[in-house]
Amino acid sequence: MSHPAIEIVGLAKRYGTGDAAVDALKGVDMIVQPGEVVGLIGPSGSGKSTLLKCLGAVIEPTAGRMALAGETIYDHGWKVADLRALRRDRIGFVFQAPYLIPFLDVTDNVAVLPMLAGVPNGRARDRAREMLTALDVGHRARAQVQQLSGGEQQRVAIARALVNQPPIILADEPTAPLDSERALTVIRILNEMAQRFGTAIIVVTHDEKIIPTFRRIYHIRDGRTYEEAGEARAA
Amino acid sequence: MINLAGRDILHGWGRFLFTGVGLGLLIGVTLSMAGIYRGMVDDAKVLLGNVGADLWVVQRDTLGPYAEPSNVRDDAYRALLGVRGVADAGNVTYLTMQIQHEGRDVRVMLVGFEPGHPGEPGSLVAGRPITRSHYEAIADERTGLRIDQRVRIRRHEYTVVGLTRRAVSSGGDPMVFVPLQDAQEVQFLKDNDALLNERARTAANPAFNRPGVPGLLEAVQASQASSRTVNVVMLRLAPHADEAVVAREIRRWKHLEAYTRADMDEILVAKLIATSAKQIFMFLVILAVVSAAIVAFIIYTMTLAKQREIAVLKLIGARNRSIAGMILQQALGLGVIGFVVGRTAAALWAPVFPKYVLLLPGDAVVGAALVMAICALASVVAIRAALRIDPATAIGG
Repeated sequence: MSHPAIEIVGLAKRYGTGDAAVDALKGVDMIVQPGEVVGLIGPSGSGKSTLLKCLGAVIEPTAGRMALAGETIYDHGWKVADLRALRRDRIGFVFQAPYLIPFLDVTDNVAVLPMLAGVPNGRARDRAREMLTALDVGHRARAQVQQLSGGEQQRVAIARALVNQPPIILADEPTAPLDSERALTVIRILNEMAQRFGTAIIVVTHDEKIIPTFRRIYHIRDGRTYEEAGEARAA
Repeated sequence: MINLAGRDILHGWGRFLFTGVGLGLLIGVTLSMAGIYRGMVDDAKVLLGNVGADLWVVQRDTLGPYAEPSNVRDDAYRALLGVRGVADAGNVTYLTMQIQHEGRDVRVMLVGFEPGHPGEPGSLVAGRPITRSHYEAIADERTGLRIDQRVRIRRHEYTVVGLTRRAVSSGGDPMVFVPLQDAQEVQFLKDNDALLNERARTAANPAFNRPGVPGLLEAVQASQASSRTVNVVMLRLAPHADEAVVAREIRRWKHLEAYTRADMDEILVAKLIATSAKQIFMFLVILAVVSAAIVAFIIYTMTLAKQREIAVLKLIGARNRSIAGMILQQALGLGVIGFVVGRTAAALWAPVFPKYVLLLPGDAVVGAALVMAICALASVVAIRAALRIDPATAIGG
């Protein structure tokens, strides 16, 4: 029996202590299957970024449980010793802006991830070029990132997130700086990649034009998540 | 793994290079200051080495002839030649003065010496030694004088017959060697008005102008017009003589001060140029601090400009030591550029300096190590700032 790619149960996060304490997450539940692209929608301050940071193992939750591909990584405390390696090998990140490293060319921006994992430079670059080709930017492999258009930069950022073939990708408003056509292209690419590599992708967005493309959506409000049923969306 | 520091440097090489050149010029000034100090010490050693003396005999209770004025009667050498262990003696005078050459002022040290005795110039690079008793000179090539040129020194014109190299005073002034009697006249002889005045005063004094003693007044006046004084008597010792013993004998029985080579070294290096050395050391410290501050500021601002990239690198799994290594390598890279530029600049502008600048390879090695240490130290602030960057800042909200 296959495990969900992401399983979150009763996840809570409190910032500060005493009277100044703020509960950003108050018991989030979420399940995402491999190969699924899920939308996470909510107003500003609802806890979207906090949830993403907890999932990305960059801040520690206060309570609850998180499991990736069946392995518990948090259960009232981290269960993984090396969070840096966890982020590097099992979580891909796509940001609001591409945040590519300006002093590396396109190939090395993607290859840097496998290199950080200890893959020899030559093999890491081969893998990067394959991923860039899969995302239709293979012809820009030798370019400097400043020479790319916004859409191309975002594809390179997606290639970087996918190159280590992590089981999950966290995308933080990846279409925010793009026009409708490019935004829909990015979502199409994410769906294709999810299908091709069996990657679970959570896309945080405000973008009205891409919301209808998700088969499942989690709404987050006041630190709690509410799932919008697939049937309701299909209707 | 990619060399992130190298890529970042190549990406913004212009800014990095210009910063390195700026730092390099500062390092060049620092190396030149060290070179000036070394030059001063070397000048002092050359001054002592050129004269071929083992002992310097000067006026009692003075540090003469280089550090303090010293007057010794010019017949004292006869008594000194009688001291056991003394092989040769030479009277020498020193006077720092300004001469005119081709319409410009040249500051020189005029040396009066007796040919064939201690105190004469070392090896000549051109021309011949002085063979006449008067009005011939040997000049250091830094004076700009050439063989057969005539140069006016006070009342008389001298013909340059020989040239020396690196014959300079402890202050770096090139030397002009003339026969002792000429130098004594330059140094001690009064001008005509002063002589007339002095003669009138002597004639008006009944003690020197007694009617019953013919010739007394003339004798006194003649003694006033001549000089029998030198600044130092230099001694060369017999092969097995102990210079400390001979010096002690001279102090005890001749009522003069005698310095060995080691004593003169001490006077010149530790006393005469001590203030200049301290001043240069203070400049070196200040320049080192300024260099460190500049490197720290540059590396810090370069790091702050990469905050987002560093956050992303940390988020995707870069180790802290990779980030710290990148910043450290950049600081050291800046140091390498700075040192190469500085060393080259110091070598290029050293000949233009009015003072002798001696750039020793050992100093360059120490300088390089110091520059690297300063750059490494200066990168600490930036590394601390980079390590404090939270990878969570790469995720919005």
